[in-house]
Amino acid sequence: MAKFVTIGERLSTTAPAVNKAFTERDPEPILKRAKQQLDAGAVYLDVNIGPAEADGEDLMKWAVQLLQSNFDNVPLALDTSNKKAIEAGISVYNRAKGKPIVNSADASGRIENIDLAAANDAIVIALCNGEGIAKDNDERMGYCQMLLERGMELGMEPTDMWFDPLFLVVKGMQDKQMEILEFIKMLSDMGLNSTGGLSNNSNGMPKHIRPIMDSALVAMAMMQGLTSAIVNPNDLRLMETIKSCDVFKSNTLYADSYLEI
Amino acid sequence: MPFTAKSGKFNAKINTVEVGTGDKAIKLGGENVFPFYTFDDAIENAPKVGIEITDGGMENEPECVQNLYEGCTTVVDMAKKAVTFDGVDFLSIRLEGGDPNGKNKSTEELIQIVKDVADAVDVPLVVCGCKNVEKDAELLDKAAAALDGKNAMILAAKEENYKTIGASAGLAYKQIVGAESAVDINLAKQLNVLLTQLGVDAKTIVMNAGTAAVGYGFDYVISTLDRVKAAALSQGDATLQMPIITPVASETWTVKESTASEEDMPEWGNLEERGIDMEVETAAAVLAAGSDAVILKHPESVRTIKAMISELI
Amino acid sequence: MALKGLDIFKLSPKKNCKECGSPTCMAFSMKVAQGAVSLDKCPYFSEEAKASLNEATAPPMKTIKVGTGDKEYSLGGETVLFRHEKTFVSRTRYAVTVCSCMDDAAIDAKLAEIKSVDYERIGERMFTEMIYVNYAPAAGKEKYLELVKKAAGLDRVLILGCEDPEVAAEAVALVKDQKPVLNGANASNYEAMSKVATDAGVTLGVQGADINELYDTLAALEKLGNKNLIFDCGVNSVKEAYQIAVQFRKAAIKDGNRTCGYPSIVRLDRLSGGDKHLQAALLSLFTMKYGSIIVLDQMTYAEANPVYGLRQNLFTDPQKPMKVEPGIYPLNGADENSVCLTTVDFALTYFLVSGELERSGVPCNLIINDAGGLSVLTSWAAGKFSAGTIAKFFAEQDIEGKVKSRKLVIPGKVAVLKGELESKIPGWEIIIAPREAVQLVKFMKEL
Repeated sequence: MAKFVTIGERLSTTAPAVNKAFTERDPEPILKRAKQQLDAGAVYLDVNIGPAEADGEDLMKWAVQLLQSNFDNVPLALDTSNKKAIEAGISVYNRAKGKPIVNSADASGRIENIDLAAANDAIVIALCNGEGIAKDNDERMGYCQMLLERGMELGMEPTDMWFDPLFLVVKGMQDKQMEILEFIKMLSDMGLNSTGGLSNNSNGMPKHIRPIMDSALVAMAMMQGLTSAIVNPNDLRLMETIKSCDVFKSNTLYADSYLEI
Repeated sequence: MPFTAKSGKFNAKINTVEVGTGDKAIKLGGENVFPFYTFDDAIENAPKVGIEITDGGMENEPECVQNLYEGCTTVVDMAKKAVTFDGVDFLSIRLEGGDPNGKNKSTEELIQIVKDVADAVDVPLVVCGCKNVEKDAELLDKAAAALDGKNAMILAAKEENYKTIGASAGLAYKQIVGAESAVDINLAKQLNVLLTQLGVDAKTIVMNAGTAAVGYGFDYVISTLDRVKAAALSQGDATLQMPIITPVASETWTVKESTASEEDMPEWGNLEERGIDMEVETAAAVLAAGSDAVILKHPESVRTIKAMISELI
Repeated sequence: MALKGLDIFKLSPKKNCKECGSPTCMAFSMKVAQGAVSLDKCPYFSEEAKASLNEATAPPMKTIKVGTGDKEYSLGGETVLFRHEKTFVSRTRYAVTVCSCMDDAAIDAKLAEIKSVDYERIGERMFTEMIYVNYAPAAGKEKYLELVKKAAGLDRVLILGCEDPEVAAEAVALVKDQKPVLNGANASNYEAMSKVATDAGVTLGVQGADINELYDTLAALEKLGNKNLIFDCGVNSVKEAYQIAVQFRKAAIKDGNRTCGYPSIVRLDRLSGGDKHLQAALLSLFTMKYGSIIVLDQMTYAEANPVYGLRQNLFTDPQKPMKVEPGIYPLNGADENSVCLTTVDFALTYFLVSGELERSGVPCNLIINDAGGLSVLTSWAAGKFSAGTIAKFFAEQDIEGKVKSRKLVIPGKVAVLKGELESKIPGWEIIIAPREAVQLVKFMKEL
């Protein structure tokens, strides 16, 4: 089994500092956040430039080249609803350390991002939802099947489609949590990869609680077969939990210094 | 329809470690496939075969080996003779006389032997300790210093003495550092991490992940080596991508199959044949499990294993 | 295989009709993959799709049985490539060659040599289980048939190496009740050879000029309906034989290529070029890497001692400890007056302890208890290595009648047993050893 893939989420326009740096094309804050995440053990970095309707193509190219030239072709997830921006990013992307990830496709408005990924030999994060949140796992599996069929028809390897069950917030949807975990097991039994915005579960909780909830959930989800997550790699507790779970799953070989490497 | 196989070549590969200097220097490792799987990808550096002598000279050797060193009186004579045997890639000197529970020879005496041997031969050198961790810390530290500039392999640093030996062999004298663990894959990995954290260049570390004669708990050796190679290649674990060296002779020439006399075991037949086959079959098995180098004693074993390797690569 | 559910889904009708009881074809395919529901529940799966799925769900490597009675051996049937993944199930079997081209004296000497290696190692009988009887056309059919009869008298499984279907038919007829292997099908004779083998109900060995011809001939035989096969790794070169042995095993187990999923024969009698030490090295290599039957020029104790030890190690269950036979093991020329030491029957403990004791050079009697094959502390915790069990073992084995020494060294890890032992086996001086085996050399010298 391969090691769990962490996708660092901290380069996002939702953070005012990042938004400002993207707008002004100011490398320093971007590089600083990227380095912090990589030092903490992130494998991929998510580059969320927002809708970026005006200058998305230029911005994504700038971000991809900036990050890859400074961090030994670090693999990236290109995160925007602007398809042209994703294509532009892939056009300058170096694959030496891993394929680009298209973030993301779903079973309704963004299903064409599957086609985009297939045409560019990229990985795609495929959200198992259509309009609104799926009501149960049958519906999720229906979306999964639809997305899978589309990708496979276009010649994609099933393992290049990383299915996102959509983690739900505990405060408000506590009763749905086990269902999501069961769905991850279904994906895993099919030999499919999975990922998702895991920290969504702890939205709205006190700051000191969130790492605890996120760590507990990642452990349970890895048990069910989750293969990746979009996380804050600077959450030490979470990263230590992931490394420990990788040991239990024999994704890495244990050594006393395992947390340091 | 011809047979088509999926490639078993990996993206990760074993580090290439050079031992010795000049024309006779050897390269260990570098492969990105399982042992001898040349059909998956070319193996640039064939596994290497070393011959072992000890500080005890002739008196330590079984009779059949003594016969082949006929005329030699000193360890240096033996070293000179050893490197002339067919198939020898490197020379290993085992300082077993240093063992405080055995002959307890002084470090000075042993280091003088190491120096004399190093002056007498031009093949890469491996210096093995006496298995006592305290004595080895002292002995191998001094050996690393005495062989300055030779790019020799110091075998080995263990969990108990890696700081001394790593600092001396790895940092001060830039020798190749052997990292020894006894069929414990987690410790094998940990020792590599500790040595690199000490500042030793990962590309100068070679592992001895444990050894046994076939039939003597060798199942643990197989699985340890198999799993090291699997982690290094298929999981791309950089902390296990060091080449592996396995001292075979010191295990196989002490078991009863190689020592019981023909008088005691008449049905077993010729003692020399038994010793050679025990050594050869153990060596072939550790190579099949992933060792990048083996250390043998009998010249016929060296020739045989070298012949097997050239048949396969 | 991880994508089995998806493989089934690819062949499914994709109608999502729910008639099977599952909400979607995907969900149904998943359940079939898990074995929770039968494929027949779906009325729309095509026969063709079913056939190819049945093929895909068969074991990756066939188990072929040869020989009869207590000489019946299973070959193949492996499910993994490395022993740490799961236990290897079918031990490598060894054969020695005799040929009708040899003169009678040479044949008799060879057959006598085959019988001479026969011993027990850790509870297992070790001997050459098979004889490869090779047909040399120049020596004539009669001589071959005589040789087959003679070899059959040794109570070993025979491998008849013969590419002439007519001669093969006569030879097989002589010994078919012993379920031999007939090794000799190739691209030009496979139909006739297959008939001979299937008529007699024996396993057919398949050869090829190279890996592709071998593969094609296996496929052609399968098409004839013969799946009682073994493939011969060939006599061209060691390198090619290794490639065939490894790549076919990998293709069968990892890639699900059933045509490769048969046991192998490795012809070291032909590949070693008369170099007996090279043959010994290759014997070990092909035992490790995927030889099911290895054919040799000779198997004396020199070759046998190491390779049977290797085989025993390689084919043990990684989860189950290997045990040594309980009893008294005199070391370093010990006699009845030498000091006694006792420990458990876990093989690794035994090898470590006996190795260090041998290194000490001090004569001593190592008494191995029946402790269920567990290590010292584990067996102690499980109550299998206590003062009571040691005393009972001493009585059963009549230790006091066999040795005169009354000094008994016990493992440092169970020092707590001292007091109780002194009362359970009175008259013995109980001495506590160091905790680790490596400290034994010093300890013994100072004892």
